[in-house]
Amino acid sequence: MPPSRLLKHKGRPRHAPDAQWRRGIGDVALGNSLSADIAPIANALILGLSIASIWLIAALGLAIIYGAIGVINMAHGEFIMLGAYTSYALQSFFGLPFLLCIPAAFIVVAFIGLLLERGLIRYLYKRPLDTLLATWGVSLVLTQLVRLTFGSDPKYIAVPEMFQSNVQLGFVNLSVLRIFVFALTIVLVAATAFLFYRTRFGMQVRAVMQNKEMAASFGINADRVYMLTFALGAGLAGVAGSLLGVLAIVLPTMGTAYVVQAFLVVVVGGGTILGSVVASGLTGEFQSVLAYVTNETFARFLLYLLIVVLLRFRPAGLFAPAKARR
Amino acid sequence: MLLGLDHVTSFYGKTPILKDIGFDLHQGQCLCVLGRNGVGKTTLLRTIMGLTDRMTGDIQMSGANISTAPTHQRAKYGLGYIPQGRQILAKFTVKENILLGTFARSDGLGEVPPLCLSLFPYLAENLEKQAGLLSGGQQQQLAIARALATNPKILLLDEPTEGIQPNIVHEIGQTLRRLNTEFGITLILTEQHIKVARKLGDAFLMMENGRIVARGPIAEMTDELVERHMTI
Repeated sequence: MPPSRLLKHKGRPRHAPDAQWRRGIGDVALGNSLSADIAPIANALILGLSIASIWLIAALGLAIIYGAIGVINMAHGEFIMLGAYTSYALQSFFGLPFLLCIPAAFIVVAFIGLLLERGLIRYLYKRPLDTLLATWGVSLVLTQLVRLTFGSDPKYIAVPEMFQSNVQLGFVNLSVLRIFVFALTIVLVAATAFLFYRTRFGMQVRAVMQNKEMAASFGINADRVYMLTFALGAGLAGVAGSLLGVLAIVLPTMGTAYVVQAFLVVVVGGGTILGSVVASGLTGEFQSVLAYVTNETFARFLLYLLIVVLLRFRPAGLFAPAKARR
Repeated sequence: MLLGLDHVTSFYGKTPILKDIGFDLHQGQCLCVLGRNGVGKTTLLRTIMGLTDRMTGDIQMSGANISTAPTHQRAKYGLGYIPQGRQILAKFTVKENILLGTFARSDGLGEVPPLCLSLFPYLAENLEKQAGLLSGGQQQQLAIARALATNPKILLLDEPTEGIQPNIVHEIGQTLRRLNTEFGITLILTEQHIKVARKLGDAFLMMENGRIVARGPIAEMTDELVERHMTI
């Protein structure tokens, strides 16, 4: 198995092979006595960036759907899972190269999101609590459907050869796959920000967010904006799924593991794209550094505690836009 | 006939707010809708835009029946709406607010139309300013510019002079007059200031309790009518 492959505990949400992986680089770094002091911290910080990129990619679609439509999509984790299974199925049944599986997962999951929005969510825009319940129900259905189709045993997405090696950066040893995930996250976040802040479509979305009636009075079809935004958010979850599926293993229940992190990022960030970037960076680094000082599980505990305290003082997140909810 | 309403009754929830409204409007007219607070003037404009919960009756615009068309489609028929309280998007810049209007254009222009800038020099100089920071009068100018950016046949103005200092009221009145006479844009405005109405309008509707109680050319709007339906 490639070094980047996560050995996942059954049923227990684990994100990335952080503990194992860090042990590996720790050995390398300790070999150099000069950098013995900084090396572990530098490792932890760089690892934190990698964790942040994974959490950010998992959260991006959720942030868009929540930020623009105000829908808390409890099925987001299952969209991620569907993206992973799409990549798995296309790769193992049709031999599609992994790099093509990523856009394919985007299209497939965006289409599923579109169907869900047209068939269900759009009837619930005025009833936020019902959306919560409905999307949670959808998440259960999707998990079960996939379990019935593919079985509950773990699936693997083969790592392309070009991603299997590691690179040495200073005293930090990084897997190429993680660098690829990091780079693709940056590209996707930049593309999403461009779409929302520099295009006519993005302006329509932001107008609908601020004042749906006024947007409609000036020719914007809010229904269509909601539909496309939901599909876009779902598609981004699909991309996240194919990346997370190749970093770890593919399971029908994998969504629940990632959705917690995704929600943390969105809640801490306040629902904007910039907020999500900063929130994922902070939480990722905290997790990584705390895990270096203590251990993986205790770090997670401390991180959650910090977030609870943060939300006590900033209930709307770090970058709370003063928005009028529909 | 540019716009025609026929037996229009409009509801919020199950309550009819407008009752059996009918009138015709011709190209280049300026119609003033008058009445006390709460008689349905705002609801009339919102009904034309399709922003009430439900309506019965017919609305014709340029020969097409728009009674069942959703708001975003009605905007594209050439209705430019300047709502009560202006409702500019505070987080958008001045430029973005004007560009918002262009989504209702049929020619696909994606830039700020020159007319908006030449009419309102202040806006032209502050295109990148956040719209929420503008004063009330400036926001009203922006709301008019935004509606003009739709390339409208009709402007619907809901109390354009409400809460604006007197010297700007005069300025806005002149702008509206120019739009009406020089550019041939038809106007419907609700108004509480009789003076503004007399100066701008060429026809009036007097409303009371959701119905039209008097109508005619502006010259027929006698003091006696104003007394009966507008004084408190």
